[in-house]
Amino acid sequence: MENISIKSSPETPYFPEVNFDAGTGICEIAGESYMEETYKFYLPLTTWIKEYISNIKGRIELNIKLIYLNTSSTKCILDILETLKDYEDNGGKVNVIWFYDKEDPDMIDEVEDFEAESGIKIEMRELV
Amino acid sequence: MLTYRGPFYIELISVFGNNVRNYTSTYGNANKKLFRIFIELSQNVSNYSEDFHLINNESRIGVGELNLVEFDSHFKFTTKNLVKKSDSKILTNRCDLINASSLMELRQLKREQRINSPGEKFGARIGLIQAVMLSQNKLEYQCEDVDDRFAYLSLTVKIDKN
Repeated sequence: MENISIKSSPETPYFPEVNFDAGTGICEIAGESYMEETYKFYLPLTTWIKEYISNIKGRIELNIKLIYLNTSSTKCILDILETLKDYEDNGGKVNVIWFYDKEDPDMIDEVEDFEAESGIKIEMRELV
Repeated sequence: MLTYRGPFYIELISVFGNNVRNYTSTYGNANKKLFRIFIELSQNVSNYSEDFHLINNESRIGVGELNLVEFDSHFKFTTKNLVKKSDSKILTNRCDLINASSLMELRQLKREQRINSPGEKFGARIGLIQAVMLSQNKLEYQCEDVDDRFAYLSLTVKIDKN
């Protein structure tokens, strides 16, 4: 299974940086996410996680360092969290960590909503 | 501060949005909120305007207007786009529902709509709720008939500076 590596670019700040590592199960999404046709960007990420769950069956750590995501992206992130929750309910080991800016109460509310909607525990860590 | 009329390409929305974010960087409360509302409402125009360009017979880029005005204590951000007359009542009823809801009710509505939204190309359909939750001010809206098929919908959100 191949890794996913998408680098950020100043020309396209609406795409986040993505690093999914099949060897360690550590997945990171960072930056900002407000591209057009959000589902086309996130579909390979969701597919990768489902394949990892089916084939490798290892621990997954999802680190989210998004400082802004539009509402279309929130739907895609929720889909990923629901997939991880299903995995966890079936015995998979999952850690979700959301890195947040303490000066951004709206994002803290958003993460609380993700936790309530997906049912998965999200550890909050302050961005440094 | 900023007025634009034309197609709402993401490249353009992003450049405008980042300039607005840089310009308002001294306003702690308004800075992040204004950028987020700017992107959300602009993408509503891009996704849902009935006047649109079709790129490669696939990607749909809505055409409309935006206007950002600075006042002493707040900013006002307005978007305008064409809607079907048959949809205009649904949209204004939706604005009324959002305006009549408390912050907690909006949060609940947002959760319900996000979970139940069809996803994919339809997005989450919670942009207006999000804009009002961020600004904590009522939506101002107007819908004027253009002809027997279309109307022009105008949405304004006020963002307090502090």
